Amino acid sequence: MSRYLVESGGNRNLPDTFVFTGERSRKGYRLNKFAMSLTNPDNRDAFRANEGAYMDRHHLSEAEKAMVTARDWDALIRYGGNVYIMVKVAGTLGVTLLQMGAQMRGQSLEEFMATRPGAAARPRKE
Amino acid sequence: MAKIIGGIGTSHAPSIAHAYDKNLGQDEAWKPLFDGYGPVKDWLKEAAPDLIVMIYNDHMNRFFFDAYPTLALGVGEVHEIADEGWGKRNFPALKGDAEFSWHLARSLVADEFDPTICQEITIDHGILSILPLLCDTPWPAPIVPIAVNVIQHPVPTARRCYKLGQAIRHAVELYDRDLRVAIVGTGGMSHQLHGKRFGFMNEEWDNEFLDALETNPEKLTVLSHDDYMERGGAESVEMIMWLTMRGALTDKVNRIHRHYYAPYLTGFGLIALGCTDITDPST
Repeated sequence: MSRYLVESGGNRNLPDTFVFTGERSRKGYRLNKFAMSLTNPDNRDAFRANEGAYMDRHHLSEAEKAMVTARDWDALIRYGGNVYIMVKVAGTLGVTLLQMGAQMRGQSLEEFMATRPGAAARPRKE
Repeated sequence: MAKIIGGIGTSHAPSIAHAYDKNLGQDEAWKPLFDGYGPVKDWLKEAAPDLIVMIYNDHMNRFFFDAYPTLALGVGEVHEIADEGWGKRNFPALKGDAEFSWHLARSLVADEFDPTICQEITIDHGILSILPLLCDTPWPAPIVPIAVNVIQHPVPTARRCYKLGQAIRHAVELYDRDLRVAIVGTGGMSHQLHGKRFGFMNEEWDNEFLDALETNPEKLTVLSHDDYMERGGAESVEMIMWLTMRGALTDKVNRIHRHYYAPYLTGFGLIALGCTDITDPST
């Protein structure tokens, strides 16, 4: 394989991995730009007040809006949403990274947390 | 003449910031992490560097994909704290050092590294999640931030990051003020934050990386990004920024401290290495 291909990431088809390549960044550009706007507190308020209208102002497609409305994090990231920007959408909606991750793995938060080494250190609260 | 006294490699993560802000340092799950930073914090206080260069990545808080720099250097006198989407953390802005930073810019470009020069660069958890674990406020020294693209591929190679460290060392040695400089590389270690592989960690690989970083860093510079992502998860490719820190040190180093703890989503690594051409870190 040429040095060019070896040294640009995302060529090995790693399992269950969606490397944030130029192709994905290009496809997800509008979606990511919308999410990036949520680093501004006024924009977060506006999005929470009327999600649909806010997404329309950012010219999201129907398919893109549907993924956000469904909080379908797995679909958003496969599509081209970058995880570090999607957490801004999630955070605005009161969803944590742990909750996103559990959903992407097809687990409940409790099921996922039980797989974590640190869970053993935390005393179980009945 | 300025000199590099040593370096620190450390993970960064929003969860560390969260644990700090929620005062969870004594919580059973977080205590091992916070305690792990103690000896490095002590060393940094004792060594009292005049300036700290920090290599990190911005998580789309200063930069966006409209123009995402492969390499960006903050040259301002002040670096403000970013709002990452849930409000700014309650910390003072970081102090910079414009004079040194512009010197660094000139030296790097002469050595064929061409950073985007930023007179304003807001700082996110790439630096701020671990800075309060390394030192208390008021921040003890000016910080010169260098942001590397490790998010949108193509990202710079591991070898390129290592050579950047060598170029930073060269720039420090060319500086005519007697500054004692520490360098910090942040990121990783193993973690993946998407797909069915979310939560992937690899303690064995992380420790192999820490071993090689200290004694044989060249071995780590020949790995491809896919090698890193396969071993440590897709988002762990940011470990290549530790190589910039290592590249700025002497070939042989004194290990001051090393710590590893992987409770939830990320292998949290920490290593502090002193340069062997520095006899007394506090002079």
